[in-house]
Amino acid sequence: MASHDVRDMLNLPSEGGGSRPTKKQKTSIARQNLKGLAREVQNLGGDNPIAIVPEISSFKRRRFGSRKPAARWEMRPFRNSARGDESLILRHWRRKTDVQQPAAPQPEQQQNGESNEDKMDADNGEPKPDELEDSSFAKFNVKVDVPQYSEDQYNSTLANNDWTKDETDYLMEVVRDYDLRWPIIWDRYEYQAKDGDASTDSSTAVVPARKNRTLEDLKARYYEVAAKMMAVQRPVQYMNQAEFSLHEIMVNFKPEDETRRKKFAEAQMGRSKEEAREEESLLLEVRRILARTEKFNQERRELYSRLDYPTTETTQDLSTFKTSNGLHTLLQNLMTADKSKKRKPLMGTDGQSTPVTAGPSAQPGSTPLVEQRRESIAASASGNGHGHGRHDSTASATDARPEKPTKKGAQAPERKKLSEQEELTYGVSTHDRLPSGPTFRYDRINKILTTKSNAQHARITNTLNELDVPARLTMPTKAVVDQMEHLLVNIQTLLDLKKLSDKFDAEIKLEKAKKAEKDKAAGIVPQPAAAEPATKGGTNGETAKENGAANKDAKKAGGDATSSSAATTEKPAAGEGVNGEKEAPTKGDEKASTEKPTDDSTGADDKAAAKEAKDDTNGVKQETGTGEEKEERPSSSGGQKRSASVLSSVSDKSAKRQKKQ
Amino acid sequence: MAQPLTTASVPTDIYGGDEVSALVLDAGYCQTRAGFAGEDVPKSVLPSFYGAIKDTNAASGSRNVFGDDFIYARPDFEVKNYMSRTESVVEDWDTAVQMWEAMLLDRLQPERRQTQPSKNGLNDGADGEGDVSMEDAAVSAENAENAEKPLAESPLLMTEAPWNQGKAREKAIEIAMENWGCPAFWLSRTPVCAAFAAGKASALVVDVGGANTSVTAVHDGMILKRSIQKSHVGGIWLSNQIRSMFDSSDPKIEVRPSYMIESKVPVDAGAPSQAILRKLNFDLHPSYRAYEDERLLTEYKESVVEVWRGPGRYSNPGNEDLVKTQPGRIFEMPDGSNQMWREQRFRVSEGMWDETAQLPTTSEEERITKAQTVPELIRACLNAVDVDLRPNLLGNIVVTGGTSLLNGFNDRLNNELMTMYPGMRVKLHAAGLTTERRFGAWIGGSILASLGTFHQMWISKKEYDENGAGIVEKRCK
Repeated sequence: MASHDVRDMLNLPSEGGGSRPTKKQKTSIARQNLKGLAREVQNLGGDNPIAIVPEISSFKRRRFGSRKPAARWEMRPFRNSARGDESLILRHWRRKTDVQQPAAPQPEQQQNGESNEDKMDADNGEPKPDELEDSSFAKFNVKVDVPQYSEDQYNSTLANNDWTKDETDYLMEVVRDYDLRWPIIWDRYEYQAKDGDASTDSSTAVVPARKNRTLEDLKARYYEVAAKMMAVQRPVQYMNQAEFSLHEIMVNFKPEDETRRKKFAEAQMGRSKEEAREEESLLLEVRRILARTEKFNQERRELYSRLDYPTTETTQDLSTFKTSNGLHTLLQNLMTADKSKKRKPLMGTDGQSTPVTAGPSAQPGSTPLVEQRRESIAASASGNGHGHGRHDSTASATDARPEKPTKKGAQAPERKKLSEQEELTYGVSTHDRLPSGPTFRYDRINKILTTKSNAQHARITNTLNELDVPARLTMPTKAVVDQMEHLLVNIQTLLDLKKLSDKFDAEIKLEKAKKAEKDKAAGIVPQPAAAEPATKGGTNGETAKENGAANKDAKKAGGDATSSSAATTEKPAAGEGVNGEKEAPTKGDEKASTEKPTDDSTGADDKAAAKEAKDDTNGVKQETGTGEEKEERPSSSGGQKRSASVLSSVSDKSAKRQKKQ
Repeated sequence: MAQPLTTASVPTDIYGGDEVSALVLDAGYCQTRAGFAGEDVPKSVLPSFYGAIKDTNAASGSRNVFGDDFIYARPDFEVKNYMSRTESVVEDWDTAVQMWEAMLLDRLQPERRQTQPSKNGLNDGADGEGDVSMEDAAVSAENAENAEKPLAESPLLMTEAPWNQGKAREKAIEIAMENWGCPAFWLSRTPVCAAFAAGKASALVVDVGGANTSVTAVHDGMILKRSIQKSHVGGIWLSNQIRSMFDSSDPKIEVRPSYMIESKVPVDAGAPSQAILRKLNFDLHPSYRAYEDERLLTEYKESVVEVWRGPGRYSNPGNEDLVKTQPGRIFEMPDGSNQMWREQRFRVSEGMWDETAQLPTTSEEERITKAQTVPELIRACLNAVDVDLRPNLLGNIVVTGGTSLLNGFNDRLNNELMTMYPGMRVKLHAAGLTTERRFGAWIGGSILASLGTFHQMWISKKEYDENGAGIVEKRCK
């Protein structure tokens, strides 16, 4: 609302009637340019126009001012050189180019084009093809090459009983027409045996006994012709690689195979839903198996490489492995390599992998083995051990094989159940749990021995020697190994018991000696010595019982047996601490003078031998002295030493026994 | 026609297009479609039915009118069709020429009747002086021949049914060349065009049209003649099924097209109509009634009829009970009577798939055999092509035609094919847009005629003059 409107309403005099119309005119002129909000803002100012309203908007003028003239387009005639006839001139919209604009002949040319288009039959129009643009799509016109042959060539090389020349010609024509698209060629192939001049236009003609050619027939004939013509043009020996392979393909075309293949394909299409599903699942299975064999092969390769490693060494120097020790180290090497390689557990593929791993380990060894063994037996004294080792490996290798069916049997429970008798004869055994990978059965024996300390080991071997049982089994069959195991366990208990009895003997002697000394000191004739052992024996019997119980516990606890027994032996030591300490320096000096007490078992053995020598002179005292000294030492030193000392005391006895023998 | 482009480069190069302002004509039994190549929808779609008005004063003469807007209730008026119902090929060539001229000339190029664009003054002005003179000359040259060669500027691409015979094809090129003076002509088969419209050179085309259903294998842009399968299971057959259902329903349902209704009042569902019928004071030819009935039934088909989607046939136990629990569709007739349709709307279409489920028809010709059901057509078609092609064809099934727009058609077809060919990859390609499905063949023709590589294919006027009409057999294979 403008101010003059308010004035009007209030009947106020305006600012001079003369000026008003001119102002109105002014504002109306100004308003013409403004629209919408801009006009409202303008009106707010009333007679005094506000400056913020843009004075001029130049976009309208600029719209035409700064633009280039519109692009010119024209209907330009063009032709397509890919056409069979050059007469068709079509027109499409193209931008007008500057080159053509000033040229005088342009309208002329267009006229020519159009006149040609209008009256196509009029050839006098003579379009200048050079000036007409060629279609950019002409280059896409590709045609197939169909073999050409003359009448003579046909008669000399291409004659065929089944095909007349006429039909062959027709075939070639159809092939050219349909660009070698065989399904269409077969679909449209309608040859009528020449009956006058039968036209190819067969849709209207009556068909007189048409031969039904299959797609394979057509292909076979075409390839035959093409291959022969190829050979005619260039003999086979002069063809280059591509030509030759093409020729080969065409020559080797077998229509029968194709027909058979198609029959299969058709049968495959006609499957029922169940068949389709079954096939799908079978395919899945096959794929799975293939994937598994790949994995399996890889594992096998890995295994081979692992097994190959030491054998390559042996080819260089076999002698290092000829001793049992050597074999043992080889085994250890293999095992450490096995562990360090950190391979995946073979459990999943166990059923397959075990025979394979057994195979290669057996194969290189088994055949040349016999001679080697013979040699070694003849040659060296240590051949004994070596022979054992070899035998072990062969035996385990041959044994490993029969293990396969059991594992397989676990996987496939439908396998026939063997009777106990058969299982024995075939060497079939069932296991709850198998360690991964192949093992020598002999290892089981070794394990028992190796877990023991060396002293114990030595004692066990000694016992075995006594029993005339070789430490290395000559023929570690399952039964033998089982028996051996049993034997070793028994030896172990025997040794333990022997140790105990030795200890008690020593105690008894000690007590006796003490008594004798006391008696000596008291001046009493050693008469009541007979009564003394009786009472002592009563107490000893109690302690023995205690010890026995402790020993049992210790056996349960495994290797701790020695330490616990040592603990029991400490008691008397503590009880006779005064005496012992008195004695110790004198006896200890004696001992130190003869040989230094060493911790290792060989030292202990030597000691035992030395003591034995002294035994004759020193008698009981000496014996008890060593016993005391031994019993004292553990209290000050570590458990390991203690056990060693205990062992040595036992070994004393065994050494004595050996002497007796 | 081709719009002037603002960019300097011509983008059609990318797509291999090169417009030469060709026309595309696709004639079917129910509709005839015409338009400009390169467009995505035909400019002019007319029913193939036309009206023949008997001139009362002239003894034998009759005047034909084309287009829906001329087909209304009037005396001495007969509705005819220039196409053959069973074959979907041209039957009445004289009328065909008239009809096509009405479309190609009058409807597509109305300016022909007016002044030429170059002479009406609109395009005068700043053009170069040489240009103007050139155009004038061209126009004058054209005008001289306009009378007899109205299509001298536009190549024409026509479609034909795949089973079209040689004589009819020759007739078509004769008309195009002699009557209209087309500079170039091409005759393409509808399945090929439909496959092109779906962007495929090889496909199994299932064309469910108004009068016919055809299944054709197309390989590399060519039909395989031995594979052509045809059946009359189409829109009109479906209409007859609906008629049969209407007749057999308990209160018989009258089909009264809207021209018969003077006024109607709303009634309850299932109640009889209370409409007042129009009284015509002249005799109406029964063909008009039939035409109007068909239109009403088409509307019914579009809004009510559905195809049982499967799996299995609709007649399998339980299916109908399930359908009865589903919400139905209400259809109101022009006379005001309305009804809820539930299981019936599935029943009428089931005959397409299961010949035992078809409803009894009046004429024996309408009955279909097992071999004429859609799945069997496809099976027969596939059996007639090389084994090697079959998997590819099954993976490229193009569904086109107006009747394929029935709800659930594609689902059912897919289910049927899956059970028929288990283990094969079956893939249907059906355009989502209604127009693309209805005008599939036309759109394919439009694509084809605007391709740059197609220029070498056209049969030019000169070739026609040299070889005669027989050239169409040689070239358009």
